[in-house]
Amino acid sequence: MTTPLFELKGVSAGYGDVQILNDVSIQVPANAIVTIVGPNGAGKSTILKAIYGIAKVSQGDITLHKLSGEAIDVRKTKPHNLADIGIAYVPQIENIFTTLTIDENLDVGYKGNGGVASEERKEKLYKQYPDLAIRKKDRAGTLSGGQRQMLALARALMSGPDILLLDEPSAGLAPALVDQLFDELVRINETGATILMVEQNARRALEISNYGYVLDMGKNRHEGEGKALAVDPEIVGIYFGKR
Amino acid sequence: MAEFVQLLFNGLVTGSILAMAAVGVSLVYGVLKLVNFAAGDFMTLGAFIAVFFSVSKGWPLILSVLLAIIGICALGLALDMVLWKRLRENKAGTLAFFLVATGVALILRQAILMIFSSGSRKYAIDEIATFPLFGANIATAQLIVLLLASSSIITLGLFMAKTTIGKDMRAFSDNPSLAAVSGINVNRVVRYVWIINGVLSALAGIFQGMVQGRFDSTMGWTLLLPIFAAVVLGTIGDAYGALLGGMVLGLVMEMSTWSVLFGGIPSSYKPVVAFATLGLVLLVKPEGLLGVKARSI
Ligand SMILES: Nc1ncnc2c1ncn2[C@@H]1O[C@H](COP(=O)(O)OP(=O)(O)OP(=O)(O)O)[C@@H](O)[C@H]1O
Ligand SMILES: [Mg+2]
Repeated sequence: MTTPLFELKGVSAGYGDVQILNDVSIQVPANAIVTIVGPNGAGKSTILKAIYGIAKVSQGDITLHKLSGEAIDVRKTKPHNLADIGIAYVPQIENIFTTLTIDENLDVGYKGNGGVASEERKEKLYKQYPDLAIRKKDRAGTLSGGQRQMLALARALMSGPDILLLDEPSAGLAPALVDQLFDELVRINETGATILMVEQNARRALEISNYGYVLDMGKNRHEGEGKALAVDPEIVGIYFGKR
Repeated sequence: MAEFVQLLFNGLVTGSILAMAAVGVSLVYGVLKLVNFAAGDFMTLGAFIAVFFSVSKGWPLILSVLLAIIGICALGLALDMVLWKRLRENKAGTLAFFLVATGVALILRQAILMIFSSGSRKYAIDEIATFPLFGANIATAQLIVLLLASSSIITLGLFMAKTTIGKDMRAFSDNPSLAAVSGINVNRVVRYVWIINGVLSALAGIFQGMVQGRFDSTMGWTLLLPIFAAVVLGTIGDAYGALLGGMVLGLVMEMSTWSVLFGGIPSSYKPVVAFATLGLVLLVKPEGLLGVKARSI
């Protein structure tokens, strides 16, 4: 593989003295969608948390290779500067500011990077998400589940990220909305953002992914082309269950 | 009518002072998860510093107020550096914060007594001057305080609504873990919280001293319960809620002494009225006035 946009190399991480991730390696090529799947408690969220220093990394490298050729050591970057270097994260739960208005949620996401004005970016996102546009002066806590997830995505996109980290974006959404969400992720990807996501809805996620990783008990177990993994009988049997 | 106008006016004055103090407490709690038991004593210290410079030293009042504000901001920042920051870094529990904050409150109150000596204080303003309004005689000091307090509140509201740091602060107060991963600089927010808290506490203390006429080292302490009630009433961690909660409680507390209502509740029961109001509102709306029901996605 050519130099990926983003990579974790031999990362071990955990909380306090408890180690959760053991020598995990993940590569995310530019403009790709990469999905990490695995059973509950496998450490999928912990991978994303390790990038933000919420889980403590004890070993390994996390690197962002900018298109300019610059390689940025993510472990040495302060969490609040990750948005500036081009990484945005949508956590699994509580991923919007409920007491702020929708408009203010977007403002908070803006970091001035890429030299695009805040209003211009908002304008674009509102065009994309008309549901949010009509209610921009309302408190975000009044949005429905699907709208909340769109706002969480929009907030992350306000920083104009190179790579978007998503933790279970489809969790808790009604089946019809799940399809909408995955369509939306494909669209976001086509407009230039690389996506690394963790998903419970493994088959649907892998189907739209260029590449997938199966994580189990904090270790890499399988990897391969997204579509191939989605139908691999062994993996389907062990990890997807009835889904 | 005269009594009603007077009480309404008192209510607005008390309400705006409570509102200012409550926003400080709400921000400090929302961002730092610290219940600031010293909030009342921050107010008292602000009032004492301003009296010290303006009365004892004879400096202009504006300059004295500025010095009081700077003093309380510095106190907040310094305490954060030597105490709160360390407690946060050591992941101290709620009880540890609670106990240390109570200790800080007691020490501050004693320090005020030691530094400024006991006895009551007053500003060099004519507290007897009044002007007539719909048959009531309103103290000029009250009117001035009301004007100053409302302009402070409007400025604060605009600051919280329009500026980047205002939005960052509210975002942090709303959801600290999301704020930390969405590019908000935590340390910067913490510094600003202590600065805003300093400005608000010092001003609220000075205003309270002015409308009270005479005040001593227990002034802020006696206001602490209504301030906390205002924060909870308006929804914990919501700065606008605290503003609203303060105004509502101030009005309710003063109007409760109106003789038309049950012959007027004795004014010493004002704090009880504050908590009764809080209790009633929470029964109907447990998440506070501005709260949105917690819901899962
Ligand atoms: N803050 C924390 N402190 C201590 N242990 C934690 C913490 N967060 C997660 N863990 C533990 O780390 C392990 C991996 O959790 P993680 O959330 O990464 O799993 P996951 O693969 O995302 O699971 P799920 O599918 O349920 O979201 C679990 O055993 C969990 O209990
Ligand atoms: Mg998870």
